[in-house]
Amino acid sequence: MRTSSDVPPIDAQPWTVLVASARGAAHAAAGLPNQDASAWRVLETLGPPLVVAAVADGHGHPRHFRAERGAHLAVEQACACVERLADQLLVGRSGGELEAFARETLVPSVVQAWRRAVAADHAASAFTPDEEAIRAQVADEPVIAYGATLLLALLSERWLLVAQIGDGDVAALFADGRVETPVPVDPTLDGHYTTSLCQAAAVDSFRIAVIDRAASPVLALLLATDGFGNAQASDPWPPAVGADLISMLGTRGMEWVRGQLPIWTERCASTEGSGDDTTVILAVHAS
Amino acid sequence: MPGGGVARRPLHFIIMADCSGSMTGERMQALNYAIADMLPQLAEWERDQLVAQVLVRVLSFATTPTWHVREPVPVGELRWKPLQAVEGGYTNMGPALREVAAAIGPDKLENRALRPAILLVTDGRPTDLGNELAAGLGALTSFPAGRASLRLAIAIGHDAKSEFLDQFIGDPSVPVIVAGNTEEIAERLVAASIAVSRLSEGGVDHGALVNQLLGTGSGGPKESEDHTIV
Repeated sequence: MRTSSDVPPIDAQPWTVLVASARGAAHAAAGLPNQDASAWRVLETLGPPLVVAAVADGHGHPRHFRAERGAHLAVEQACACVERLADQLLVGRSGGELEAFARETLVPSVVQAWRRAVAADHAASAFTPDEEAIRAQVADEPVIAYGATLLLALLSERWLLVAQIGDGDVAALFADGRVETPVPVDPTLDGHYTTSLCQAAAVDSFRIAVIDRAASPVLALLLATDGFGNAQASDPWPPAVGADLISMLGTRGMEWVRGQLPIWTERCASTEGSGDDTTVILAVHAS
Repeated sequence: MPGGGVARRPLHFIIMADCSGSMTGERMQALNYAIADMLPQLAEWERDQLVAQVLVRVLSFATTPTWHVREPVPVGELRWKPLQAVEGGYTNMGPALREVAAAIGPDKLENRALRPAILLVTDGRPTDLGNELAAGLGALTSFPAGRASLRLAIAIGHDAKSEFLDQFIGDPSVPVIVAGNTEEIAERLVAASIAVSRLSEGGVDHGALVNQLLGTGSGGPKESEDHTIV
């Protein structure tokens, strides 16, 4: 399991996964940790290798005082669920069937596993008196303290599956220079409020996208917590950022981009950018 | 850096200034002084915090609304040109609210913009009571950015404090700020502008906001707050 930017990425054919994360300047000033998390794995399956990747953003509001743990549990449990279901996920499925499987089986499994992991964490480490005072003030269920978003991607040679709850961004970069944001927009996200794994209706709040690489050859998939998009000067940013990334991958090469990604991420998280925790996974296909 | 670089998140700050006939003279002079005094202090706050770039617009309103500063201007670059009261002008707030709603409506603000902040300064009760006023407020709260906007009101003179201003604010825990005389306008405007900006940048802590507005708090709203659940 890879969960931090200082771990060198491992190439997994046909996908190479680059990861970077930076603590937001506003979080640093407030004495808060980086409440983002990321993880990815190469899965051994009956077929060709699959890659699963996830980022999560723990909510910064004080009522989510264990959001950092919640985000880490989210990416860990999401990757583990995909691994458990990997052999069922892609075998003989159409795009529509894959989306239905994700909605009916994968997403409920992820939410259930996360809630179970949260309960175990809470049982092993009860709230401190200070934490309990915050929780009691708003009469929250303990799970609320762990609130986090989740962006989960499964990448195979043919299919890309993305499931997202809460804010953050997913951009698909195509070999022909196009850039798309495949996950449907959630109109309830207004920049302050977000849907969350900690909500009772979490399963229904997931948004899902499936891309068939046979029809649309994706060159790279970018997953990012909202600190990245909120820092971009261009508006809308995905076409501009995506087009530049495609160009950079073509002209400068993967290793250069690998070296630059932590620098870009730091800039996004700085006082020049969003000031928010920023985590990016860029999965690049070998084509 | 792919995409053209990074930038702070825009915080759209809109002042709705009452320029009706009753503002003529000392009150308008005091309001102009207050806004001119407020801008550098808001710019200083912008420099000190870590997230937002404050972009200011000003709408003057009387019988009809008129943009005094139509395009969003970075607070540090705005050179204040005095507002003028409209002789015989009414305090029609409904059209003014619709004008603001149109300015920040769907697809008008950047996706990454913080919640807009709206500060209403008036010395009188609205003269367009009834459907017009309700329609204006309805227009402003009919889309996500308008609903999420942080709204404060300064009443110049105790008579200006009305039920409508409470409806405009939309939160019973947040008081109308009363400037009992012209000398208090500048002080109240600075406190309100920075309070509303801090809240938009940092999240909602209405208790701290109330304390700051009433001068009973020590530290003001917390700046570390951000996302919570829908």
